[in-house]
Amino acid sequence: MARVTAARSFGLVAILVSVMTTAAAASEPAPAIDPPPTAQNWSDLAKLPDWSGVWIPESWQITTARHPPSWRPEILKDVEALKALEKAGHPKGLYVDCLPEGMPSFIIMTLGATEFLYTPGRVTILNEFDGNRQRRIYTDGRGHPDDPDLTFNGHSVGRWEGGTLVVDTAAILPQTYLPVSQAVGIPNDGDAHIIERIHLIGPDRLVDEMTVEAPHVLAAPWRVTRNFTRTRERRSDIVEASCRQGDFIAGKDAQGHAAFLPIGHTEDGAPLPPDQVKPPQ
Amino acid sequence: MKPALTAASLTAALSLTLGLTVGGAPALAHHSFAMFDPAKVLSLKGTVKDFEWSNPHVSLWVLAPPAGGGEAELWTVELTSPGNLTRLGWTRHSLKAGDHVVVEVNPLRNGQHGGGFRKVTLTDTGQTLGGALRDLEKPANP
Repeated sequence: MARVTAARSFGLVAILVSVMTTAAAASEPAPAIDPPPTAQNWSDLAKLPDWSGVWIPESWQITTARHPPSWRPEILKDVEALKALEKAGHPKGLYVDCLPEGMPSFIIMTLGATEFLYTPGRVTILNEFDGNRQRRIYTDGRGHPDDPDLTFNGHSVGRWEGGTLVVDTAAILPQTYLPVSQAVGIPNDGDAHIIERIHLIGPDRLVDEMTVEAPHVLAAPWRVTRNFTRTRERRSDIVEASCRQGDFIAGKDAQGHAAFLPIGHTEDGAPLPPDQVKPPQ
Repeated sequence: MKPALTAASLTAALSLTLGLTVGGAPALAHHSFAMFDPAKVLSLKGTVKDFEWSNPHVSLWVLAPPAGGGEAELWTVELTSPGNLTRLGWTRHSLKAGDHVVVEVNPLRNGQHGGGFRKVTLTDTGQTLGGALRDLEKPANP
């Protein structure tokens, strides 16, 4: 293909940097510790754009309708089957078993408030959703590990281009879903790679412009953006948000201690009154 | 109307169902609202039995008689998270056991007594509370 995507360009640069880093590493091993930040490191953070406050994501329906992915032809039947399951009220995939949604759903599909923390050499993204999940984006110049453990959110390194944080994410678990709709998704099946450009688009508006490469299931890189709106209301501060408390109801155990007691629910997870619960077939 | 269940009797009833329904079941707490039928809207006029301020979904337990009359039946209604409800002006005290309410829900597709929350009106005060996430998308400096 003559047209080289920005993501692939970034990937090429990353590979070159990686090769250079590897070459350098041959004579100069990577540091085994993170050096303590200097006063200058801390003061440099004040020069970065102000992303403080709490960021509310736009409706996921808007995000996914704006930029639908191009699935590989052989994947389309799986996508349609998932949509049919969701329409019938039996979604499979995302939001099942309280496993992390992972990347890119961490950004694309979250229903929770988000905040960005700057510390020297790192940007941390905190999300209230489903267990206060988090991403660490290293901005200290490191690359991805040579043999990283695969994780739901992958390994992220970033750099600042003016007011834009450019993030490269790799080492994402192949089981991690690419979202089809709110609660259904297709596993990326491996080799997923994501480039993000995160920047302000207004005094209280921020966008994450994402290019998702998942060559085993996508016919082309997926260019998708999600907008966020800032609030500074104290009542909007991020709070604890576990993923499984809803499987229980507050009560007392046999010894009279405060306890969470499991409750019945539909096969898809909605809680039910005791007289509505059906025994397993 | 049948007397409201006590907290102890609700707990006992829940415990009785435990062995049959929960053992070995997958962890499901967070889920989409796909199991609720968005094309149907049901009004539950009754009394709050319990209001569980929990993640990932706040749950509202309501005793309401069937539309044609008869003994009150227990329904579970799911809302968004405590964090998002707080941003919409709710607190964990917004509803309490004994409150007379009309709750508008999208019912479960299979007819079981569960629903996805749309709005609630406290009949004694006329106060109405909603839970639409889109209402959160207001800029700090419009």
